[in-house]
Amino acid sequence: MAALHRQRWCIATALLVPLLTLAAPWFLAIDGVGPAWAVLWLLPWALEEGPLSGAFAGLALGLLMDGLHIGAVTEAPALLLLGWWWGRIGRRGLPISRTFNLALLAVIGSAALGASVLLQERVAGTLPPASSGWQILLTQALITGLLAPLISSLLLLRWRQIT
Amino acid sequence: MAGRLLRVPLMQKILGAWPWWLLLLALFGVRLSKGAGVMDAYALLSRPFWPGPAQSQWLQSAQRLDEHTRLQLLEQDNARLRGLVELDKTRGTAISAPVISRLTSGWWQQLELGKGSLQGVRDGAAVIAPGGLIGLVSSVTPTTARVALLTNSSSRLGVWIPRVKRHGLLVGLDTPRPRLEFLDKDTGVRPGDVVTTSPASTLVPPNLTVGVVQSVDEDLVPAPDASVQLSAPIDAVDWVQVVAR
Repeated sequence: MAALHRQRWCIATALLVPLLTLAAPWFLAIDGVGPAWAVLWLLPWALEEGPLSGAFAGLALGLLMDGLHIGAVTEAPALLLLGWWWGRIGRRGLPISRTFNLALLAVIGSAALGASVLLQERVAGTLPPASSGWQILLTQALITGLLAPLISSLLLLRWRQIT
Repeated sequence: MAGRLLRVPLMQKILGAWPWWLLLLALFGVRLSKGAGVMDAYALLSRPFWPGPAQSQWLQSAQRLDEHTRLQLLEQDNARLRGLVELDKTRGTAISAPVISRLTSGWWQQLELGKGSLQGVRDGAAVIAPGGLIGLVSSVTPTTARVALLTNSSSRLGVWIPRVKRHGLLVGLDTPRPRLEFLDKDTGVRPGDVVTTSPASTLVPPNLTVGVVQSVDEDLVPAPDASVQLSAPIDAVDWVQVVAR
């Protein structure tokens, strides 16, 4: 029963990720750049559920997010690796509950996601050299790190209550 | 001698009427200056009855109406002529669509529209906002359509600069201002030049405003490029027109 309950919560909150990405609330953005909502959701889930579940959730979320933007650039591999890594951290060490740790992990995750996008555009040659890729990457990492202690910690608490 | 002349009765009368002489001199001055003083006094007195802002609004609205009508007539005329030379085989109807999601900064510069293939929106259709062209439809679902904005880094659009009659390539940079690349040197393009779609274009509607050249980098090899500010305010657009091909 608990597993079923957890699944329901998982799907309900995960569906908020594409909705928030599309709605892009202006008050949660720096210079118009919003946070990486997928990172904010994936972080607590992977920390709590382990590497396999984290990697699977990352892949699923990545496929969903790829359907929301133009172009052939994919976020799935980066999210898959992030889910795996965070799952290993959650399994191996002390339970992570300090907000600073969450924020740091979210910043690294968002930067890795942005770097994967930047790398793919560079390799595909669609990105002109004068574009503002680095600025977007840094801005998104900043706002994601600021929001992680607020949102990811709440989700983490929720997952711990349920399990 | 002077005293004796003053004692002549006629001279005394003439000199005694000096205020009238002064008045005559003043009127002579008015005559010479074509009404200085009198006109100023009239203007001062009649100022409360001058035509006010209401009247200037009437005139402005009349002028707007005149320009609007002329524009409509010219557009009709233009469409007829284009039909004659068979440039206009691709002419389609415009579909109004609401913007339901707006991602204008971040990794992907795109809009989501609330109308899709069921309403006749097709892949590659031009999207026009108040102010000019903003992008092309990149994918459609039955009820929504995704627009790749001209600022998106995957966007490439051939444009036309009417003043110097030259083509250029508008390349998105993921920043608010796309870059205009030229094919040859000595373009003669200056900041302030208007950028439009090509008059002979069949991919997008011809002669649509795209933006204004902000700055030109002349030192670049092999050809200079320019930074373009789009004329449509993408951050504020709520409804757009999709011109189906």
